[in-house]
Amino acid sequence: MKQFTNFSRAVAAGALAVAMSTAAMASDSLNFPNLTYRTGPFAGTGTPIMNGQRDYMLMLNARDGGIGGMPVNYIECETGYNTNKGVECYEKTKGDALVTQPWSTGITLQVLPRTNVDRIPILAPGYGSSPMSDGNTFAWAYNPPVSYWDGAYMILDHIGGGDMSTLKGKKIALLHLDHPFGKEPIPLLEKLSELHGFELLTIPVGLKEMQNQSSQWLQIRRERPDNVVMWGWGAMNAGAITEAVKTRYPMDQFVGIWWSGSDADLQNVGAKAKGYKSISFNAPGNFPVLDDIREHVFSKGDSHIKSENDMDTIFYQRGIVISMILAEAAKTAQDNFGEKGISAEQLRWGLENLNITDARLEELGMAGMTPPLKTSCDDHTGHSGAWMLEWNGEEFVKASDLLVPSRELIKPLEEEKSAEYAQNNAPWPGRGDLACN
Amino acid sequence: MFYRTSGQFKTTYESDQALFPIKQDMILLAVILAAMYVVFPMFASEFTFKALLVPVLIYSLASLGLNILTGFAGQLSLGTAGFMGVGAYACYKITSIFPEMNVVVALFLSGFFSAAVGVAFGLPSLRIKGFYLAIATLASQFFLVWLFEKWAWLYNYNASGAIEVRTMDIFGLVVTGPNASPVVQYYFVLGIVSVVTFAMINLTRGRYGRTWKAVRDMDIAAELVGINLMRAKLSAFAVSSYIVGIAGALMVFFWKGAAEPNLFDIPMSFQIVFIAIIGGLGSVMGNFLGAILIVALPVVLNLLPGMLGLNIGSATMEHVNVMVVGSLIILFLIVEPHGLARFWALIREKLIIWPFPH
Repeated sequence: MKQFTNFSRAVAAGALAVAMSTAAMASDSLNFPNLTYRTGPFAGTGTPIMNGQRDYMLMLNARDGGIGGMPVNYIECETGYNTNKGVECYEKTKGDALVTQPWSTGITLQVLPRTNVDRIPILAPGYGSSPMSDGNTFAWAYNPPVSYWDGAYMILDHIGGGDMSTLKGKKIALLHLDHPFGKEPIPLLEKLSELHGFELLTIPVGLKEMQNQSSQWLQIRRERPDNVVMWGWGAMNAGAITEAVKTRYPMDQFVGIWWSGSDADLQNVGAKAKGYKSISFNAPGNFPVLDDIREHVFSKGDSHIKSENDMDTIFYQRGIVISMILAEAAKTAQDNFGEKGISAEQLRWGLENLNITDARLEELGMAGMTPPLKTSCDDHTGHSGAWMLEWNGEEFVKASDLLVPSRELIKPLEEEKSAEYAQNNAPWPGRGDLACN
Repeated sequence: MFYRTSGQFKTTYESDQALFPIKQDMILLAVILAAMYVVFPMFASEFTFKALLVPVLIYSLASLGLNILTGFAGQLSLGTAGFMGVGAYACYKITSIFPEMNVVVALFLSGFFSAAVGVAFGLPSLRIKGFYLAIATLASQFFLVWLFEKWAWLYNYNASGAIEVRTMDIFGLVVTGPNASPVVQYYFVLGIVSVVTFAMINLTRGRYGRTWKAVRDMDIAAELVGINLMRAKLSAFAVSSYIVGIAGALMVFFWKGAAEPNLFDIPMSFQIVFIAIIGGLGSVMGNFLGAILIVALPVVLNLLPGMLGLNIGSATMEHVNVMVVGSLIILFLIVEPHGLARFWALIREKLIIWPFPH
């Protein structure tokens, strides 16, 4: 009986909370929610990125008083990579949100149609689906600086040494998570294999087999592919790298997408994984922006990272780059509309008209950390390119010049698939009433 | 005093066998229905609809389906999420093959597919019982999720491998897709859940319900008194999977708007088993109480620190949440092992004799 009254009290409190949650939001700041996953099976890869994103925003607040004098209200909502929680978080944060950062392909798929109606831009840097680049179809979705198809193209370009025709007759295996994310590169790789005459072998890894890939690696050992390209996430990366070491697959023929290049995954095997490569749109190094974060956030104890060394990881620095893109979009919008407190619609314009030049990167203390980026109405990605990083046994080092994707090859595919999406989700509003510029 | 039953005389068999023989029960139900149909839609925010009301209703319905099978017919199942997936994919295929079809019709048709699959996987129940049957249904769970991933026809060869819900309307009122208003979707789900619940209350009180209970309590005895075990068990599988399938279709079409195969994986099956057990096996109302505890409580708990002005990180809160909900489940099971429905029954009994207990 007593428990029951307590329970009813909790329910009453909850009802009150629901009533109030919509009211308690500030409008004198830039509200940037982030649907984080610091818990659950993918927390290992999520946490360092989220830390980087958060610390950059906190640094802007501490150093410059926000963006253009407007403080950033950086809100985290934890999803644990769970799509149900994703709906909850999206609905909870969307009230005054200027942007939504869904951080999971499943949540992105759920949220994508809603953002057209709620008029909130989606920012999915380096993930989401590649056709999102087509701004005339996906007016509210952005996936700068490079899409998965760009990644697949650049990886093969690097494997072929800059000339894909050398791939003729080779056998390339795609070891991928059996999940919408892992299937992303397949349409482009199939097209490339037709064009250049290499054999494509897709080897899916189920979500339940991420940590035990012995059957997949048995297949790799039997088929002897010339190269293995990995589209892995979370626990799958460490599993694959460990198996590759165990089966003595030559590490210099093993390349991963940018989410398969976390320092933590490779530290376990250390020197044995020497030669493993991962493509990345951020290069490692010691950049001035890191000193600012050290000074304004870390030394004050505001950061979630435990040791200063965590700032040197690829994923933490990638979080910084991602937050920088968002902050620059906000600044672009502020400059254009002459208002400090921009709306979600104005931020959308900012994301569409990004122009982060080398000079601007220099000003931000990030020269060489990420390639210059420019977006436009029909290019919501920017396709700015990436570098190949190589694991030297202790850390990732830059192993190539800037690689850039081929637009004339990828663009038609983007248009085809985005038209398909619009048809599946008919009636799809497309650009709607939004003028270009 | 409030729940006094004296003075309510039953003079006919009909009134004695009514769904709610006690007047106060009717009043309580009327209040709850009024709250669901009138009060909530007037005051609830979009967040309340999308994160609390609609999910609770859908999970209640799925749990009701499981309860028919496990609580009433005594056949343990761990494959609920897979059957929900069958309903969802069937509804998706039906609406894409026949785009003009009314979505309500598609919804009720898709239940037949999950019922058929349920019966197929229910066949082993004629030979095996208890844990062994649970393993057989677990196999169906793994098989179905695998099928949703591999059979590209099911998701119309969509590049992302997920099913996406297009905009559909009923007589001009948009009910699915991004443009559907949350109130409309809520009413739609509420209507279907009400209809199915009413049907199930009647079904479980009637001939089928009694047959199932007899099989649950002792199948040999049931067979000896002339119950056809095969028909009883398979009908339980059919009805259960039918409801579960509708719940799955509702989940994708009226709540989430898109779904990837692994949504229907084993964690959701367990969640629904928890709802059924915490709510009370063999009860209809328990499903709703269980869903409130398992689905709504974590959402409400997440809001608490913000309301109290505490600055707790979202991730920390998630950890706290798991601990709080977990301990509450254990607490409720210790206090009342037969679930929340039994807990309510005890309260009601005490209220009837209050304030003069014998």
